[in-house]
Amino acid sequence: MSGGGAAQGSSATVPVSPETDRRIDALLTRYPRRSSALLPALHLVQDEKGWISDESMAYVAGKIGVSPAFVAGVVSFYTMYHRRPVGKHHIQVCRTLSCMLRGGRDVMNRLRSRLGIEPGQVTTDGRFSLEWVECLGACDTAPCAQVNDEDVALLDPAQADALIERLRQGR
Amino acid sequence: MPEPNVPVPAPEAPPPAAAGPAPAPPQPALPPCGPDEVALLIDGRPVVAKKGTTVLQAAGTIGVVVPHYCYHPGLSVAGNCRMCLVEIEKVPKLQIGCATQVAQGMVVKTTTDRVKDTREGIMEFLLINHPLDCPICDQAGECRLQQYSAEYGKGRSRFVEEKIHHDKRVPIGARVTFDGERCIKCTRCVRFCDEVSRTGELTLVDRGGHAIIDTFPGMALDNAYSGNTVDICPVGALTWKPFRFAARVWFLKNVPSVCGACARGCSVDLATYQNRVHRITPRHNPEVNGWWMCDFGRQTYAPVQDMPRLARPIVRPAPGGAGGPGGTAGGGAAPSMGEAIDQAAAILRAAATRHGAGALAALVSARLTLEEMHLAKKALAAAGIARLVVPPHEEGQDDDLLIRKDRTPNGRGAGLLGLGAPDAAAVAALAADVAARKVRGLVILGEDPAGDGLIRAEALRTLDALVVVDWRASATVEAAHVALPSCGYGESEGVYVNCTGHAQRTRAAVRPGGLAVPVWSILREIGRRFGLGGAHSSAPAIFDDIAATVPAFAGMSYRALGEAGAPVKGA
Amino acid sequence: MAYEKLLTRNIHRDNSHTIDVYLANGGYQALRRVLKEVSPERMLEEVKTSGLRGRGGAGFPAGVKWSFLPKTRDKPRYLCVNADESEPGTFKDRLLIEKDPHLVLEGIILSAYAIDCHTAFFYIRGEFHRGYRVFQKAIDEAYARGFLGRNILGSGYSLDVLTYRGAGAYICGEETALLESLEGKRGLPRLKPPFPAIVGLYGCPTIINNVETLANVPYIAERGAAWFAGIGRPKNTGPKLFCLSGHVKRPGVYEAPLGIPFMELLNEHAGGMLHPDRPLKAAVPGGSSMKVLPAPRCDVLLDFDSLAAAGTSLGSAGGMVMDSSTCMVGALLNLAEFYAHESCGQCTPCREGTGWFVKILRRLEMGEGRPEDPDLLLDVARRVEGNTICPFGEAVAWPVSSYVTEFRSEFDDHATRKACPFGAASVR
Repeated sequence: MSGGGAAQGSSATVPVSPETDRRIDALLTRYPRRSSALLPALHLVQDEKGWISDESMAYVAGKIGVSPAFVAGVVSFYTMYHRRPVGKHHIQVCRTLSCMLRGGRDVMNRLRSRLGIEPGQVTTDGRFSLEWVECLGACDTAPCAQVNDEDVALLDPAQADALIERLRQGR
Repeated sequence: MPEPNVPVPAPEAPPPAAAGPAPAPPQPALPPCGPDEVALLIDGRPVVAKKGTTVLQAAGTIGVVVPHYCYHPGLSVAGNCRMCLVEIEKVPKLQIGCATQVAQGMVVKTTTDRVKDTREGIMEFLLINHPLDCPICDQAGECRLQQYSAEYGKGRSRFVEEKIHHDKRVPIGARVTFDGERCIKCTRCVRFCDEVSRTGELTLVDRGGHAIIDTFPGMALDNAYSGNTVDICPVGALTWKPFRFAARVWFLKNVPSVCGACARGCSVDLATYQNRVHRITPRHNPEVNGWWMCDFGRQTYAPVQDMPRLARPIVRPAPGGAGGPGGTAGGGAAPSMGEAIDQAAAILRAAATRHGAGALAALVSARLTLEEMHLAKKALAAAGIARLVVPPHEEGQDDDLLIRKDRTPNGRGAGLLGLGAPDAAAVAALAADVAARKVRGLVILGEDPAGDGLIRAEALRTLDALVVVDWRASATVEAAHVALPSCGYGESEGVYVNCTGHAQRTRAAVRPGGLAVPVWSILREIGRRFGLGGAHSSAPAIFDDIAATVPAFAGMSYRALGEAGAPVKGA
Repeated sequence: MAYEKLLTRNIHRDNSHTIDVYLANGGYQALRRVLKEVSPERMLEEVKTSGLRGRGGAGFPAGVKWSFLPKTRDKPRYLCVNADESEPGTFKDRLLIEKDPHLVLEGIILSAYAIDCHTAFFYIRGEFHRGYRVFQKAIDEAYARGFLGRNILGSGYSLDVLTYRGAGAYICGEETALLESLEGKRGLPRLKPPFPAIVGLYGCPTIINNVETLANVPYIAERGAAWFAGIGRPKNTGPKLFCLSGHVKRPGVYEAPLGIPFMELLNEHAGGMLHPDRPLKAAVPGGSSMKVLPAPRCDVLLDFDSLAAAGTSLGSAGGMVMDSSTCMVGALLNLAEFYAHESCGQCTPCREGTGWFVKILRRLEMGEGRPEDPDLLLDVARRVEGNTICPFGEAVAWPVSSYVTEFRSEFDDHATRKACPFGAASVR
């Protein structure tokens, strides 16, 4: 890929911790081609910071050796990369057929009313956000959801209440 | 993810090779072909093509047009528009012509009902989210959506819901505007920035129906070749800012010519209407510029339109009362061209008489054509002027694509005609000699040394004879005793030789105003005042003279140069 | 006849995911023997003869795919494990990854050996966080015990397995989109030909296989192709993991030989319909992309060829069951929205058509339908199918055309109404 990015090769500002920076460097030689390090590097950035900023994209572009626009194209293609901050507890509810057949919409409706936000929004205190996601591959425990990287089987609205309680209490 | 259309051949079948499907049984009337070629049928007509050619390309060689958007011969194959789907016998699904390689005995059909129905479908899909902008869109008249709608479309849409909306006037670059709703995501622009300019500013963001072209936040499409994305955009999504709303393309007349902005000499088209050039676009020339040109060259016509123009000859009193018959003003307040040229000859003669021929010199521009340079040499020789200096005009560096730091289109030509290559040291020496009053008479052809800071205007004013031929009302013209108005870029024809020794014809696209005439005709007249013979009646005739008398150009002619030009063998 | 569990033999053991439990139950014996006594060519032949067909959705014979690799060795060969399981209704690979990763890993090593590959990639969808951690740990264990790395078990054969996480894109389950993603790009499917076996990852010959496909290989190695071919039905051989979800009592993964009757899977494995007073209305046997079967046609055998003959496909074996409370228009709208979200946007028919389906179906579901809408859906589906870069076109066109065709009266009825007649009980 061509260069030409703002942070091409320079260490202008490194928007991640030294540890993350080191781990990204290690990624650059993990795969047969350096280009493959892009998705894992973005995961590392998001693991640390919770989302991917313009600054982070430019920084990663410089590390991999691709243009910042290229990284923007990749980040925007994959739904797991957040381009804006999400809540401390990012609740992702499955909206695909099997979960809907088993009452997934009722679960989301309960979450919406309890948290006072719509899918795509963050609560004002920054603690919760909601998102509709597509099939999570857990149709046997439908309706299902994920909170950050943890699976939850939300079988009904009552369980949704219990989930919010648990998260509010930090459990 | 299911893969239902992965082919399931019998286990003994060979793997699907890259060169297209299995050959058909022998067809009648397939022509013989060489070891690197295949013979196939396209719409019943036999074609011979080199291995590796695509069906779309092969069809083009026999005049069968396979409609397409995303394919461009100067870029990699994307295969995403699906407009070029054609039928290939024995293959169940239609195949894209832009990516399917020809194979021996292949039978291709582009006019079947199935193909027509498919094209209709693709057109419908492209239009369901496309805004009805034709009345305000620059692309109208050269838009593939319009063209293919008329040729292949349904004529009406079945889409009744709200279209997807995007920003419509995105200042994506300094010279390029982007309309997200018109975009059909063919990715030609992205591929151009990745593969040709290698600057990578553009990308598709998001996916599915919301996928759209964008730059990195805060960054712009600002490479020196951004205008090419406008040329290759098949619709009006990318538009060239200087040309936005300027003229309807069906009024424009394209005149093939050569760019004058640097020594590359890209082949161009000057689009004219009502005696104005409205835009310059690259003309395909595999010998010079391929498909492309730089952004600066696109604006070459602007100075001719914008700068103050020398419209009529000027005659001013020369010092020491030198001058021809009729007194100091020579010919009165509004001299004719003939009168002004008489005066020019007179003051040059007078200066030579007074100070010797060695005190005369000439600045000859590398922006002149071969014909102009040829006559300059003859006329100046007839006038006894031996010291000829060609000023360089350099800016920046050669890049690895088209742009040359030499910003003159015919420096190579100057060298080939024996005028010498552009030489900064010679210019400096001349300036010093003017300041030291060793040079007393100067003929300046197409240069503005005062404005360019090469020779100070005060120094020029000390000359006994300053004759200037130019199209601009420049600072040098202000100091001249005689100023003769000439054609500017795009107003007369002639030949340039570019940095690789390739000669091309420029053509007159517009008529100059006032009394301006081609430089070569002025030089011929000056020469005649000094006894120069020869008809030199037109640019082609002068070029024939060059071919006859300058060994490097032996055998060349305007006809031989044609549209794409030809290499100068002696270069 | 008691069916011997093979693929799910270990999953209920405590710590089934650990190498110790795997080894204690006979794991890696097949690998030991093959590395010592069986040539790669023999191993490949064995898989070919077994008739093992891909378990990812296409059902393409695995051994045949492997034999497409070119004979030359000027470029390295790669094996990519497709653990991107994202087909709605499918969760069988996840079960193997989380509960018996070493079965899968042994299958990977045996398969890589068979095709002379020394670097394999495990591409797992980003949302499988637990699966990724478990599988990475299994890989680490395998390295520690000498089943991966240089000179495995003293055989001279070396193999590295690298994990790679996706980041949320169903399309990356398509072979060539997976390769693009693995190369660090947007997951856009490639034009074919060339096929990955010739030009794949980094331009090198590459085989992409599904997790479950590879999980069968240790059994083929251990007991032979003939034994394997004796399970299931002719040309549809081997054990299979079937998923059932939706309106069933016990949604889950059930192992049975290929060819089990759907009704037996539904009633005897998954406990039958969820509500006794809501009978079966429709079922999708193979993941959302496969054509729907109305209840009267659900008396089918679940294998590749039988379902193809029935006008649908086994696909990823992600069976979804809908009872009489289901609005088929709403169900199709749900799936159409899935496909519109997941379309990569590269090619015209899919990029524009998926959005169009959603808009038409929304109008139908919201009471703004028109009588011509069902035919319009069918015609648009017809224009998408077959004209796209990748099978995603079929994946969206088949549901649209089959739901509208099989439940035409429901769609026609919606077009005349101001509200969906199924109301609150429907899929909305």
